[in-house]
Amino acid sequence: MKNTIKVERAKKNWTQADLADKIGVSRQAINSIETGKFIPSTALALKMARVFGTPVEIIFQLEKSD
Amino acid sequence: MNKSKKHLSNRVFVYAVLWVVSYGGSLLALKNLTLEKEVGIVLSMIPVLTFAVFIYKFYRGIFIMDEVQIKIQMEAVVIAFTFGLLMLMTLGLLDLVLALNKEDWGYRHLVPYFVIFYIIGLLISKRKYNFDHEKHD
Repeated sequence: MKNTIKVERAKKNWTQADLADKIGVSRQAINSIETGKFIPSTALALKMARVFGTPVEIIFQLEKSD
Repeated sequence: MNKSKKHLSNRVFVYAVLWVVSYGGSLLALKNLTLEKEVGIVLSMIPVLTFAVFIYKFYRGIFIMDEVQIKIQMEAVVIAFTFGLLMLMTLGLLDLVLALNKEDWGYRHLVPYFVIFYIIGLLISKRKYNFDHEKHD
């Protein structure tokens, strides 16, 4: 699964720590998710979509191999 | 990490240290001092109490972890449990063949291995999830 978190953060000029504060997780958790090491739960993905103001399927997309 | 999370995390660490110190202290006292049986039993139970408090605080701490932290802890415990089981199985079988010296391989000597296995598990899992990566642009 790929994600556009870094792009969305850049649009808002947010650091990983800023995003982490907004959705109530650790900065390290954002790093794990952003680098594709960890796939978040539906609830966390929806929280991210809400703070970015973007549909969740734009932030998280399945790859051909998924 | 917000203040309350950091505070709880610090408290869990303090209770972990308390358990290690009480276990080490009891171990040294029981090994080196000549004590009455009742005093020895009481001394043996002190680390049980400190461990119970530490585990309770650790368990409470899980509820304020985020999902990545929970998964890392779960994997660390699974790795520690698996290594621990492997060690007990191996020592148990070897004991039948070699009659291992209980002064080297008694129950009390196995406790630190479980802690080491947990720390190894934690390091493996953190690395797997890129958890300690410093980059945060």
